Amino acid sequence: MSFVPGLGIVKGMALTLRRFFEPKVTVMYPEVRLDVPHKFRGRLQLLYDEWGTLKCETCFQCAQACPIECIDMGGIDTRGRYHVHWGAAETYGERREESALRRSGRVVPDPAYLPFAPVDLAQVDAILDEHDHDPARMLDILEATQAAYGYLPVAALKRISHETGAWYAMIYGTASYYAHLRFEPAASAEQAKAVDEHRPAESTYLAALDAALDGGGRPGAPARA
Amino acid sequence: MPRWTGAGAPALRRGPDMTEILKTPARWPTILLGRARAKDPRDLDEAVAAGAFAGLRRAIRDLGPTAVIATIADSGLRGRGGAGFPAGEKWRTAASTDADRRYVVANGYGADPASHTDRTLMLLDPFSVIEGTAIAAYAIGANEAFIAVRAEDADVIASLSAAIGAATDAGFVGEDVSGSGHDIHMTVRPVQGAYMLGEETVLLKALEGKRGQPEQRPPHPAESGLFDRPTLVHNVQTLAAVPWIVSEGASAFRATGTTGSPGTVLVQVRTPGGENGVAEVPLGTPLREVLGLGGELPAGRSIKAVLIGGPSGGLLPPDALDTPYDFEPLRAAGAHLGSGSVVVVDDRTDLLELVGVLTRFCSNEACGKSIPCRIGVKRLAEIVARREDGLLRPVDMELATDLATDIVASALCDHERLATLPLTSGMRYFGSDFDPARRPQPASTEAPR
Ligand SMILES: Cc1cc2nc3c(=O)[nH]c(=O)nc-3n(C[C@H](O)[C@H](O)[C@H](O)COP(=O)(O)O)c2cc1C
Ligand code: SF4
Ligand code: FES
Repeated sequence: MSFVPGLGIVKGMALTLRRFFEPKVTVMYPEVRLDVPHKFRGRLQLLYDEWGTLKCETCFQCAQACPIECIDMGGIDTRGRYHVHWGAAETYGERREESALRRSGRVVPDPAYLPFAPVDLAQVDAILDEHDHDPARMLDILEATQAAYGYLPVAALKRISHETGAWYAMIYGTASYYAHLRFEPAASAEQAKAVDEHRPAESTYLAALDAALDGGGRPGAPARA
Repeated sequence: MPRWTGAGAPALRRGPDMTEILKTPARWPTILLGRARAKDPRDLDEAVAAGAFAGLRRAIRDLGPTAVIATIADSGLRGRGGAGFPAGEKWRTAASTDADRRYVVANGYGADPASHTDRTLMLLDPFSVIEGTAIAAYAIGANEAFIAVRAEDADVIASLSAAIGAATDAGFVGEDVSGSGHDIHMTVRPVQGAYMLGEETVLLKALEGKRGQPEQRPPHPAESGLFDRPTLVHNVQTLAAVPWIVSEGASAFRATGTTGSPGTVLVQVRTPGGENGVAEVPLGTPLREVLGLGGELPAGRSIKAVLIGGPSGGLLPPDALDTPYDFEPLRAAGAHLGSGSVVVVDDRTDLLELVGVLTRFCSNEACGKSIPCRIGVKRLAEIVARREDGLLRPVDMELATDLATDIVASALCDHERLATLPLTSGMRYFGSDFDPARRPQPASTEAPR
């Protein structure tokens, strides 16, 4: 095709104009529902609410739904617990740390990158052997890994992903869901024990319920073991 | 995780962590807790002498899979997990869907931390759950069955593992069950880490080692569940009723409860200053009688409301006490069976605080998959908190009503359909407690949250 100067822009503007005058449709969700693909999460845009809080809840549904893992995100999860990260780790800490190293010749002392630090993989390899490298036994593998390292190091998760064939994003999604799994070493042994022994959400709820009912129900009743 | 077999099992600890069994009228039949008074619930010989595994034997020798399913359908047994779906229909679907493998999953997770009904059943009569699960597996043609329980509940895990070990040694589960040529491998699967694990599709996700978020239904698990195979998921109480039905017959089961919902359920009754224990109650019993099991309120106090169904339960007023404890009537009144918990709320309780506690728990435990649930329920909890602090905005109560309607309408799983109940039932029956004008505005000039 011969080159016509400005044709591209005219085509583009024609589309813009056409869209501009097309009738707009507002679907009154949830009364009316469009047929949308199973994994549809709406248009991805990070919006702020009227108080200036980011509306994204860091639920990772968008990243988990993306079949080629092209969505990365990082932040603090909604319960303020973890520095979360999703997607290829080299997009974040590892690569930046590496290039910073290359440029300055020294390690960047940023604790946010600690989870990416290499660990001795012998233990996770043993755990994987014991579980037949079976992705269907992921929870057992993750629990055993946490028991071995005290937390779930990213390097171990990547090894698990490599060895079981499960996507890193799926493993991360599993690990970040369950309250008893953690990505950072516990502050102290007592804290780890306290969290392991009792699910904080439940004891808080039971205490609040007892308080709301004026504690009348069961004096000194033990919480569920 | 320790796995005990019959002989070496540690003795069952009775005492503070064993929930009390409430006394019920003698005329009420015991279908689920019939053997609960056994000296050692894990002693297979004692249980067999009291009738355990008679149902399984009858199912295999006299009935065969098709007749077992027909019996369960005739009995009108409905799911005890909360929704009350007819069991027979699920069994038919699971048995008739083409597949190379099928599974049975007994849901003993007991999501509501304040209700110990399922736990009590599994501790006091583990064999009824095991036998029911085995019959279900035999009927639908499943070779693998899982009993999912809380990983933090060592007593239940020990009790069930020991009982499965004993039943395997006796040939009631395992290879070639009771000479039927059918293998049923049964395992206890401890899971933990989220309230939502009680929901069936979430539980299946956990058993597959995945993130625990519900799936769109249909397809129901009975068609495509664990590892995409037909999977029968039942509450442990539903399964524990199965052996009784198979050995006593469907019409005997129909003699208890109501025409629409035959049989009994376990209820956790809690009365302030009175009892907090588990009782077996025929479906359709008036609420008043259920409350009666918990004893009297201390002098000078009166009932203000009844909270039925656990954290996402509904608040009913004292004049609704004639409502039958049954699936549809409770739904119509604005509550639901849920976790089987019935809590008497006396006049010292601030309903708003109670609703706040419940809504916050529901919001915190939302899995995050569906946006109306994740954000909508959180906003409801915020509205209740603003109301508690006296910082309500003029449109807030109206907003709460609208929001609740939208959350229910766009729900993905039952959690979000139900999470609005404490607030909506509270506003429906106890409007004046929720009236913004009733609470004084605080002196503080803090900006609204
Ligand atoms: C938020 C939520 C929590 C639930 N928790 C439980 C539970 O703890 N135990 C249970 O048996 N069913 C629970 N269910 C109901 C299950 O999804 C499912 O309906 C049930 O296990 C099916 O068994 P059934 O047919 O015997 O009722 C829950 C449902 C929801 C939505
Ligand atoms: S993480 Fe969740 S809330 Fe945030 S943009 Fe993705 S889908 Fe939306
Ligand atoms: S709890 Fe998961 S969508 Fe509501």
